[in-house]
This record gives sequence, structure tokens and C-alpha cells, in this order.
Amino acid sequence: MDDNTIVCRCEDITLKELRDLIKEGYTTLDEIKRALRLGMGPCQGNICLDIAAREICKMTDKTMEEIKMPRKRPPVLGIKMGELAGDQDEK
Amino acid sequence: MLEKTGIPTSDDLKAIKPDKERLKKGPVALIECFRKIPCDPCFYSCPFDAIDEFKDINDIPNLDYETCTGCGNCIASCPGLAIFVVDYNKNTLSLPYEFLPVPEKGDLVWGLNRAGKKVKKAEVVRVKDPAKNDKTAVVTIKLPKEYLMEVRNIEVGELNG
Amino acid sequence: MINTDILVIGGGPAGMTAAIKASESGAQVIIIERYHELGGQLIKQTHRFFGSKKEQAGIRGISIAQELTEKIENHSNIRVMTEATAEGYYEDEVVTISHENKFKKIKAKKVIIATGASENMLAFENNDLPGVYGAGAVQTLMNLYGILPGEKVIMVGAGNIGLIVSYQLLQAGVDVEAVIEAAPKIGGYLVHASKIRRAGVPIYTSHSIKKAIGENSVQGAEVVELNDNWEMKVGTEKVIEADIICLAVGLNPLSDLLIQAECEVVYTPELGGDVPIRDENLKTTKDHIFVAGDVAGIEEATAAMLEGEIAGLKAVSEIGYSNENIFEELNRLKTELNKLRSGPVGKVIKNGIEKVRRGNYVGKNRYSHLR
Ligand SMILES: Cc1cc2nc3c(=O)[nH]c(=O)nc-3n(C[C@H](O)[C@H](O)[C@H](O)COP(=O)(O)OP(=O)(O)OC[C@H]3O[C@@H](n4cnc5c(N)ncnc54)[C@H](O)[C@@H]3O)c2cc1C
Ligand code: SF4
Ligand code: SF4
Repeated sequence: MDDNTIVCRCEDITLKELRDLIKEGYTTLDEIKRALRLGMGPCQGNICLDIAAREICKMTDKTMEEIKMPRKRPPVLGIKMGELAGDQDEK
Repeated sequence: MLEKTGIPTSDDLKAIKPDKERLKKGPVALIECFRKIPCDPCFYSCPFDAIDEFKDINDIPNLDYETCTGCGNCIASCPGLAIFVVDYNKNTLSLPYEFLPVPEKGDLVWGLNRAGKKVKKAEVVRVKDPAKNDKTAVVTIKLPKEYLMEVRNIEVGELNG
Repeated sequence: MINTDILVIGGGPAGMTAAIKASESGAQVIIIERYHELGGQLIKQTHRFFGSKKEQAGIRGISIAQELTEKIENHSNIRVMTEATAEGYYEDEVVTISHENKFKKIKAKKVIIATGASENMLAFENNDLPGVYGAGAVQTLMNLYGILPGEKVIMVGAGNIGLIVSYQLLQAGVDVEAVIEAAPKIGGYLVHASKIRRAGVPIYTSHSIKKAIGENSVQGAEVVELNDNWEMKVGTEKVIEADIICLAVGLNPLSDLLIQAECEVVYTPELGGDVPIRDENLKTTKDHIFVAGDVAGIEEATAAMLEGEIAGLKAVSEIGYSNENIFEELNRLKTELNKLRSGPVGKVIKNGIEKVRRGNYVGKNRYSHLR
């Protein structure tokens, strides 16, 4: 059933994949992020990291406060390379 | 229970009923706003100061039925659409209505109860939809007395073919 | 590099009132908004706002947005940049933005972050079927583009957003088949619940969505009753037909920029997620950064506007644009805010804010291990 439940729409990751990984001992978001690319799509994890954090809490005895969140790097939202090239001065 | 279904219980409704004497005297507002929320436009809308000034914006509105003239000014001001006016002399109910099409005088509509069930056909006797109400029409329908405390919404359309 | 006194990030009610207040004393203000017009959540709200009459309640969200936008246009010292997204926060109050597809830098003396919130998603079977939408997306389609999302909707969530969007759907002529709520009680204001209930929409509390049904798109949902421990009760499953499942399961403060700027944030469920530590003037743990509105804790537009005014006033006063009445004015705004939060709904918010008060906060920063 879990394999039809999507937790990350950007990278098409299922709840089953996530739960299997947690069972294998991947219990930090950073590890999960690396293994599944969770939170690395265009939404930058705004949606899926919260769901993943809740799953970790359910399956380990951690609370939401104890979850270590992965780094938020600029750009906040997906930015196109062409835009980066266009910096210019302005008054 | 109101908290579970969204339908006020008879216990909730006890809180608002003006007595028989007052109902006989003419139109009066009924405010079906039963729980504390940070909201107060009804107080500012009443030209007769019938609604007590809110000491705390979370107060439940308190209406003085003796001061209330039933003018209906408050109906369209309430974002909760929780204010109605009943008139036991003319057997009419006025309610806020924000759907299209707005019915016209003379139209036959369904009177719906607090659960949205059709309970009685009713004739529209007045429609106020002035620009100052900003798209909240106030529709007055004629109903037998026993339905004045039961009908709280209308369904427009079906009965006019 | 663009230089300014005050940079406001986010053009919702919080950001707009912050910009207006800040500009009134003569400071140069830039407000950036990633959408093509100002207004934030307000431009999608066709319903009358509950809240304080003094802060515009009783009129429609969209009209509040228009009024504030006009005010901003009348202040020549506010520069509005729309289609401008703050991408990153760097040292010395330099914010990088992407504006009309160009990359720019803005350096400000004070920055007010008012980025609002993003919607939560829910994990259930087949949640990737076309027809599963967030409430925000449904509102955008309906109220901004005039497109009906479908014919029959199941709404998940009976908080204010779920209730209000259900009402807006009904107004647009869409059938709302049911509102499903996992909690044993309706979370939103009961006047809103009664409003859709008497239009014939059933509200099922202690119910959850088990799965979406359909081959290529949503044809319905299987819903199930929950027991007192929020577990699904076997055998209570039932199917409700619909072509849209709309999720209104809460908002999450968009605190990314604050985290990048290394403001202390603490996970605070009462306020919806990771929110910044702040003092009563909405200043964060960084001396140059203020916050206001939903990014500081999910609340309401009335509160967002008051917070915006406080942050705007305080921020300009710290760079020398003080007016003589500032203390009185700040006190008045704080009193208003306090009054607003004095009810049962506000109590939860207040508890949350107490936890993140600068100087004596409790709780953990879930990002501190990164430093
Ligand atoms: C359906 C619904 C009904 C509601 N009804 C009511 C009501 O009746 N009464 C009431 O008081 N409140 C109501 N609210 C709540 C109210 O709309 C919000 O509390 C309020 O809009 C919060 O204001 P804000 O300025 O903090 O955030 P928002 O209004 O969300 O504005 C934030 C703005 O920041 C922009 N932004 C975000 N990130 C960036 C970035 N990186 N760069 C540039 N711009 C950015 C966003 O595009 C957005 O425009 C309702 C909300 C919803 C969803
Ligand atoms: S009906 Fe008229 S008098 Fe009575 S409360 Fe409403 S506005 Fe006031
Ligand atoms: S305006 Fe309506 S919802 Fe608000 S307090 Fe008055 S009666 Fe209640």
C-alpha cells in the first residue's frame, strides 16, 4: 500500500521507500536526503521534509523537536542558471 | 454537537431566543454566534447600539432584544453569516445570501434547515442587495411561524422551473 | 547593488503594513514580492474577513489587498518590486533576488521578513493522482483564474481554511461532498462550519482519508473513521465519489531565509513549525532582521497587519527615523495585538509566542547542528 503513497512529488519518492530506509537505520533527514534525493527537487523540501520528519518520529522514539533538519541553502526557490548570470548594478 | 457537526444544538439555541413578548412586538435579530472568536464587525454595524460594545474582541456578541429594532443592518456585516432577523407579526425571516443567482421578489425558494435539509417552500418577499453590502444580499422570505426558528438558508432555482 | 534603508520581503498583509509604516517617517523602503502583484493570501480571499473591525474585518480579503496596495502606491518612498523572489540571505544584510528573470542584490539597513507560509501535504495512498490539490492551488484556479477545478470535491481538513475554501467552492457552483477532519472537533470557527453545514455539506470529524480512488484521475476517496487514539477503525471504510480531493491540512511558516541568515528558530507546534525567536517588537536574534505575519507563526491577517506595523515602526526608529509618538504608537499596537489574542484561539498562539520570546525561550533549534 505504501508504494502508492508519494511523499515527495518532485522526485517521485514513495512512503514505502522512505519507511524501508528508516528501518535499515537511516534515521536522520540528512542521510535520507542523500539516499533518496528527498527534498532536492524544485520545492527544496518545503513539503516532503516535514512528512519525512514525522515518519522518523513515528518509527523511532524521537520527537519533532529532536529532528535535525538539513541545511537550507540559497537559492530558496529553484533558480535558473541564466538568472545567475545576469547580475548587474542598479541605483 | 456543534463542535462535531457544525449544527447548533437546542442547548446552544436556548442562548439566543428572545421571549414571546418580545417576538410579538415586531422584528428582532437573532445572533447565532456561539463560541468565542476574535471578531467584532456586528457591533459596529448596529445603528441603535443594540449590540453591547465588546470589552474583549473575543466576546460572544450580546444583543439587547429591547433595543433591537430588527432593522437588519447587522445581517450583511457578519463574516460568519450568523445573524438573522425574524418577524413574528409578518411571519418573515431575513437572511444573508451570497450565491448566484440572487432570487427576486416573488420567487419561490426552498427553505433549508441548519443541516441543509429542505424543510419548507417559501416565497421571497424582499431582496436587498445594495452596493454597500458588497455582494451579500439580504433575502426576506415568508414562512409559517413554526418554521421561523428552523429555516436558516435557502435554495434558489429549482422551484421556478 | 541596490541600497535602501528598509527591505521588506513578502508582499502579503504583514509586508504591506510594514512597508507603509516604515515609509511614513521618510525612510526609503523596498518591498519585494515573488508574485506579479501585492496582496499575498488576501488576493485569493473573496470572503468577508472575520477579525477586528479596526483592522478591516467585515470587508473582503481582496478589498483589503486593494486598499493596502493603493496606500503603498501613494507613498513615493516605497519602491515595489513584483516578480521578485528573495533567493538568499548573505552577510551584512545583502539579499539576492531574482527580479523579472534577472539576478540582483539588495543591501538594506534593516530587513523585515514577511514571507508567509507554505501548505502542508498529506501522505495517503494514490496521493499523486491528478485531482489531488492543495487548498491554495484550488483557490488560485478558482479565484484568480476563474477556472473550476472540478465538479465534486472532498475537502480534507476542517480548520478555517478548509471551511472557507469549501464555502468558496459552493459559491462557484462546485458540490462539496464532504469535509473530512481527523481531529474529534472542528478546528475552524464554528460560524464558518455552520455556514457550509446549512448549505448541506456534511462534516465528518474523527475521520481520515485512507486512499484516493481512480485509474488516471481521482474518482473518489475511501475515508475511514478514527478511534480516540487517532487509529483507523477497521470496517468503517466508505467510499465517497468526487473528482477533486482538496487538502487543507495546515500551513508551515516559510522560514528558509531566516534560517539562512542564522536567526535562531525553534520548532513550535502552536505556531505551525520552525519559527524565529523574537522580542515584542518582532526583532529576531539578529539585530537587523525583523519578522511579521505567518512566517513568525501561523495566525490571521489581522494579527499579521498589526505585527507588520510594529516591525515597520521599530525598524525605522532604529535607523534614526523616529517620530515623537513612537512609544505610544508601539504600545497601542501591542495592546491591540494582545486583545486580539485574549480568546481561546489566541491562547494557543500566546503560549507558542511565550516559548519563542527572545531572552527566555525554550526548545531546540533544529538547524543549529549545521553551524
Ligand atoms: C483560505 C484562507 C482564508 C483565510 N481567511 C482569513 C480571514 O477570514 N481572516 C483573517 O484574518 N485571516 C484569514 N486568513 C489568513 C491570512 O490570509 C493570513 O494569515 C495572512 O495572509 C498572513 O499574512 P502574511 O503577510 O504573513 O503572509 P501571506 O499573505 O502569505 O504573504 C506572504 C507573501 O510573501 C511572498 N513571498 C514568500 N516568499 C518570498 C520570497 N522568498 N521572495 C519574495 N516574496 C516572497 C508570497 O508570495 C506572499 O505574497 C485566511 C487564509 C487562507 C489561506
Ligand atoms: S437588527 Fe438592527 S437594531 Fe437589531 S441588532 Fe441588527 S442592526 Fe441592530
Ligand atoms: S460579526 Fe458575526 S461572527 Fe463576528 S462576532 Fe459578530 S456575530 Fe459573531
